Amino acid sequence: MVPLRSQIVAYFRERLGLDSVEALAEKKLVPVHQETIFYYLGGMALFLFGIQITTGILLSLYYKPSPDQAFESVQAIMTEIDFGWLMRSVHSWSANLIIGVLFLHVLTTYMMRAYRRPREFTWITGCALLGVFMAFGFSGYLLPWNELAFFATRVGTGIVSVVPGIGDELLLLARSGENVTGDTLARFYALHVVILPIVAFGLLGVHVFLVQKHGMSVPDRVTARHGSPRAVPNIRFVPDFLLRDMVGWFLALGLLAALGALFPWELGEKADPFGSAPEGIKPEWYFLFMFQTLKLLPSHISGLEGEMVGVLAFGAAGLAVLLVPFLDRGETPSRLRKLLNLLAAAAVVFFIVMTAWGFFDSLQFQLALGGLLFAGVLALAGATLEQSSAGRRLVFVLSALSFLVCVGSLVWGLQGG
Amino acid sequence: MKRLSATLLGYVSAVLLGLLTAGPQSVTAAEEENFCIICHGEADIWDKETLRFHVTEKHFGEDMHWELGLRCEDCHGGDPAEPDFRRAHAVDADFRTIKSPADVAGFCGRCHSDNQYMRQYEPSPRTDQESMYWTSGHGQRLKEKSDDKVATCVSCHHKPHGSGDTLDEPGILAVDDQESPVYATNVAETCKTCHADPEMMAGRTYGGNPIGHDQYEAWRQSVHAKAMFERDDLSAPTCNDCHGNHGALPPDVDSVANACGSCHTKVARLFAQTQMQHRFQEADLPGCVTCHGKHDIGSPTDEMLGMGDSAVCTECHREGKFGATPAGARKAKEMRAGLDDLKAQIEEARLLVSKAERLGMEVSGPRFDLRTANDALVNARTLIHSFAVEPVEEKLQEGFAVTTEVRQSAQNALEEYTFRRIWLAGSLLPILCVIVLLVFYIRSRPQPGTGPAGLLAPSADDRELGPVAE
Repeated sequence: MVPLRSQIVAYFRERLGLDSVEALAEKKLVPVHQETIFYYLGGMALFLFGIQITTGILLSLYYKPSPDQAFESVQAIMTEIDFGWLMRSVHSWSANLIIGVLFLHVLTTYMMRAYRRPREFTWITGCALLGVFMAFGFSGYLLPWNELAFFATRVGTGIVSVVPGIGDELLLLARSGENVTGDTLARFYALHVVILPIVAFGLLGVHVFLVQKHGMSVPDRVTARHGSPRAVPNIRFVPDFLLRDMVGWFLALGLLAALGALFPWELGEKADPFGSAPEGIKPEWYFLFMFQTLKLLPSHISGLEGEMVGVLAFGAAGLAVLLVPFLDRGETPSRLRKLLNLLAAAAVVFFIVMTAWGFFDSLQFQLALGGLLFAGVLALAGATLEQSSAGRRLVFVLSALSFLVCVGSLVWGLQGG
Repeated sequence: MKRLSATLLGYVSAVLLGLLTAGPQSVTAAEEENFCIICHGEADIWDKETLRFHVTEKHFGEDMHWELGLRCEDCHGGDPAEPDFRRAHAVDADFRTIKSPADVAGFCGRCHSDNQYMRQYEPSPRTDQESMYWTSGHGQRLKEKSDDKVATCVSCHHKPHGSGDTLDEPGILAVDDQESPVYATNVAETCKTCHADPEMMAGRTYGGNPIGHDQYEAWRQSVHAKAMFERDDLSAPTCNDCHGNHGALPPDVDSVANACGSCHTKVARLFAQTQMQHRFQEADLPGCVTCHGKHDIGSPTDEMLGMGDSAVCTECHREGKFGATPAGARKAKEMRAGLDDLKAQIEEARLLVSKAERLGMEVSGPRFDLRTANDALVNARTLIHSFAVEPVEEKLQEGFAVTTEVRQSAQNALEEYTFRRIWLAGSLLPILCVIVLLVFYIRSRPQPGTGPAGLLAPSADDRELGPVAE
């Protein structure tokens, strides 16, 4: 008599083809080296996406996408629905964390040069996914229909109108009219819960398939250290890598719980489309670097509208990021690679400075945030350098100095305030 | 020339105050047929002494009568089609003049007291201005004492036109024109012209008492003036709202409460039903102003109630003036204590609600309910004018009930916040435990490079699934 458990397993094994999955899991290996920790960022993002889907579905059961009811329904979610406050807080915080993790994922992938042949499309789908998740953030920001979100969306959608030739059409497409109205809300809701999820699942499927297909990329310096790619030590994906990945997931979960407990997501005031814009309108932090730049640009640059130049420059930079695998193709270091690295470093510095500048009004807090971000990025960069090398030591010292600047500025700011 | 001057003197004195009568005419009527304008508009025929008779269209400024099409003859009579000035100004041509200020009210009233005539301009015209004027302090003084310095219609409304070289007269403007001297925000300034002039007011009395000249300055300090000028509240009372306009007169001692009650209806009704009103009447004390002041009525405060140094009750109840009793003093203290208590409770509840709001909790309901508590406080303050503890206490209790609920709701929100934090912080513990267990489990497993089960040397098969560094 075959035990019932074995019968059930055999039933599903036969019908779902679990043998091949098992074989795949058995053979799937992940290289272990100094930079393996960066491999967990993708899994962490995937885990957070799972949280977004779960909390998003729960929120959608109560959310009403109309200008008359949106704010009130979110208010009801926070006050009347059991654990609704938790769902909203986790959904909002998770949305921010996922974009932060994706930024780091893209940055570390670049630093490891994991975009090299044959992983060009893995890179492109990854970058596209970052764009899709930023769009998730932008569309989701408006849904509570509160004052800040309303006016930030008006400013944000207004920017596309400067795109030469098709600006007005893009504006109409984004707002479903000349102004941000109930139609815009309906459009953003559809984008947030239907269109973007379909696109995200499609891209994610291709991305994960390509990662599976090509395996994890090993940085050149690691391969060189071991003599050949095959000599790099491995661990099994199941269960060893998965177990380590789970540590990352639970860390993210813990971070979410801590953020939700310490900083519950606020609701704000209901949007009044006929009211005047409140002071301090700004987008979510991941758009701040663009927002701040456009704000600082002069009204005209070489006879062209300043905002237009800014938008075109950001568009060109995005395209350049997508094309990195096709620009940096050689196996050996080249002048072009040096240039790309310099530009990438400049882009990171630019991102940090503009974000810190736009996030706070006071210089002390700008310095504190900038210092913290620099410390983090430098620590990441240091981790990719050869152990006990002078460069690594220098980078870690700079990271520590940045952290000191952060702490000093914070104390200065708090005392001044 | 002397005869011409005499005739024109009468004529022009009428012109100065007229143009208030007769039916509308087309503004576009050919003015060249109007010999009034032809003669009086000709600058060369007037010498230095008679220049004041020189009136042109420009002298009418924005006068509403002129704009409505009324012309010289509509107020002054006479024959504008007659080129001979003697016949034009003849008595049988119904030529009318104003010989003294006493004629002004009748001159204007010729039309403004005529209901049938005035209905051409508005369906329910007011036509009691002239009769009211003769009941006013101004009218009575003019009639009885021939005091020709008192205000007449044109003193407040302006003249319809200037004369001679004077081209800055605006004419008579509509009452709702912001530039009109009788527009709500300008009334006090208009009255001030005479009533703040020490010379003008010197020796003038009302009811045996000097009228004084400090009313305007006092009113400017009042809560009413602040409401009008700082909050742009046009319904805030100015001179005419308490004294009347055409029948302007200080209210009698017994009718002060009615004057205040025209706006403060609930308070006036309460006061009228109390023993206190009779006591005031017996002591010949005016209602309202005895406690709140006259022109310089300040913003009422709770400190005015009770037996403290700032309390108005103290004035009588401390020394038993006008028959004031110790029982009244006790009531005042009791009511004051109740108000202070409710105020403190509202403030406490407000602070709790604000704290919960700052912490991101949803307390819009309790925040709204705080208004109900504030309403109860305002109503209790109003009910003080009943001079009875019970109704005040009843209203205070309503406020206490609401503040208790609000405090409880805010407290619940704060507890909920604490619960959430503890709950979430508590969730960190199992999460941390899972992480620690995972780490231990990972460490317990064969490590890469430590043995055959750990270090998995890449095989040919691994090229497909494993780490391929191309």
